[in-house]
Amino acid sequence: MPDTTAHPTPGAPPADVPAGAREIPTLAVEDVTVRFGGIVALDAVSFSVAPRSIHALIGPNGAGKSTCFNAVTGIYRPTSGRVTLGDAVLTDTPPHQVARLGVGRAFQNLALVAGSSVLDNVMLGRYSLTSGGFLSYGLRLPRTMRAERRHEERAAEICDFLGIGAHLHRPAGVLSYGDQKRVDIARALAVEPTVLLLDEPAAGMNASETAELAHLIRDISTGLSISILLVEHDMGLVMGIADRVTVLDFGRLIADDTPAVVQKDPAVIRAYLGSVEEESA
Amino acid sequence: MSETTRAEATGPTAGATGVDAAETDSAAPDGQGGMPAVHPRRDRRRWLLWGALVVVLFLVPIYLPGQYLIVSTWVMTGAVGAMGLTMLIGQAGQLSLAHSFFLLVGGVSYTVLSSDGTDGFVGLGLPTALSLVLAVAISAAVGAAFAPVSGRLTGIYLGVASLSLVFLGWWLARVLPSIAGSTSSGRYADDLNLFGFDFGEKSPTLAILGVPIGQNERLFWLYAALTLIAYFVARGAVDGRVGRAWRAVRDNEAAATVMGVSVVRQKSVAFAVSSAYAGLAGVMVVWWYDGLLKPDEAVDSGTYSTAVAIAYLAMVVIGGLGSLGGAIVGAAVVFGTPLIIPLLSQGDSSAVLSSGGTAFSPVVITYLAYGALIVLIVLFEPGGLAALGRRLTARLKRS
Repeated sequence: MPDTTAHPTPGAPPADVPAGAREIPTLAVEDVTVRFGGIVALDAVSFSVAPRSIHALIGPNGAGKSTCFNAVTGIYRPTSGRVTLGDAVLTDTPPHQVARLGVGRAFQNLALVAGSSVLDNVMLGRYSLTSGGFLSYGLRLPRTMRAERRHEERAAEICDFLGIGAHLHRPAGVLSYGDQKRVDIARALAVEPTVLLLDEPAAGMNASETAELAHLIRDISTGLSISILLVEHDMGLVMGIADRVTVLDFGRLIADDTPAVVQKDPAVIRAYLGSVEEESA
Repeated sequence: MSETTRAEATGPTAGATGVDAAETDSAAPDGQGGMPAVHPRRDRRRWLLWGALVVVLFLVPIYLPGQYLIVSTWVMTGAVGAMGLTMLIGQAGQLSLAHSFFLLVGGVSYTVLSSDGTDGFVGLGLPTALSLVLAVAISAAVGAAFAPVSGRLTGIYLGVASLSLVFLGWWLARVLPSIAGSTSSGRYADDLNLFGFDFGEKSPTLAILGVPIGQNERLFWLYAALTLIAYFVARGAVDGRVGRAWRAVRDNEAAATVMGVSVVRQKSVAFAVSSAYAGLAGVMVVWWYDGLLKPDEAVDSGTYSTAVAIAYLAMVVIGGLGSLGGAIVGAAVVFGTPLIIPLLSQGDSSAVLSSGGTAFSPVVITYLAYGALIVLIVLFEPGGLAALGRRLTARLKRS
């Protein structure tokens, strides 16, 4: 039930489930290989995202991070291996049904409908939680419109939580870049995910915006107590907030540990700064 | 029924493909008493406006001469069809040049269902209202049956593929005269008859304020009602879950999929809805011609030709892609001007094709006008007349 925290119960689970009691399954990437023609974009990668943790996926450009995201959300079919969320096998699920299993994703390149209002964009996240086709909306069936209002209120709540509540009725395209990122995240949260995927959330942000974002991600993690998997270039952000870091290079997993350990890993340093042997040679 | 009014809140923005800062109130209402203001309260005013509109539309036939009514009803057939097309192209992002084919499907379906099978024609003799509903449903089904093609192709490729349907329809109508009527004399469909009220009444006994309510007046009421219903239904769907799915499919298929939208399915739904609207417009076309259904002799000119398909495209571009109100205005421009120019200049719409000695017949003038309009709109206001209208109202509000 709604508790009395200062925040408007950040993304409280549906009211019939007590906050925090929702079961958060483990997201497991098991031996996933993705090939495009002759190119191996992901090579037998395995790691798992522990429930309610913040897990970062890093690596140089072209390391296969986005491919990995697309494999998890079903946009790409892995050549072999599978991705599971609890008992559900995501890689066997039609891509448009992955959201229903509790996977929310924010995009790297702001995949918003620029001309539509913020509320309209966020409501897209409620798509798999709602029903009703052309006629039930066209005829404004009372049941459909009641559900629509309930979901709109929830969407507005999520927007409030992300600090974009004042912009509900403005077109998403006129907001600042940082606010558009928030709309994108709000839409992903509107799915009521158990695991939230963030694709380079800090891309294109300045230092203070990035700091704010780190705050926000932590707020989401503690407020909603869901798992978060994020792809990120910004090392400062990753090392500051992640519980665990997985490092990819050329499609292969080269490290998977806590930030402190990964930071000192020679393989990781080599991947980011170039070959050490070359320098010493 | 106060639930319906969210349309105003997101309506103007929902249809636009572009971003227009001017169209929103700068002071977005914030939460009151802790709850976010999701629904601005404009319910009362909106229902008053709808009521006023209905009253005006009811009075129009009593004051407007018959010839202007004929122009208005023709514009409304265009408006209904264009609303369907603007949803398909502007909301779901799928190009179609097959709209005139679906007009034919609707018209033929209604004629076959409603007329009784005399004179060697196929006819089922069903009640006319039922025939209307079924004709719309059949058009939707035919549109959905195009899904294997529409789901795989996009952009200009889909446009060209859909164009083939116009040729298919033209050929089928020619080889099946027992269904579609012959290209020389056609066949006749029944007027709509609702509870004994015949919308095609030629010798009316009913009169209001001394004005006999004949076919022109009755068709105006019927078409106005159908246009309002078509708009109302489309508005609700476009502002709701379906519209959101279409816009997501249009702008980013990957994002739509990740949010739970089946892209292939929504593309086919959009095609079915658009075809249903075209089918309804097709039935309206048949009534407008006094019930005459006559296939075209040539594929590129006539009632169901490629020229009509392109005229519909012109309507939705002029009106503003994705805008329902724009589709209505676009229909008035494209279908209205060729009929209204001779009425205003010569007081007689039969002068449509005569040029009065110059090369500039009303038809030519109209083609020039909407050719120029399209070029101007694409260059200066890609949002069409809808975006222009929004800018103007925003400016008026501010001053």
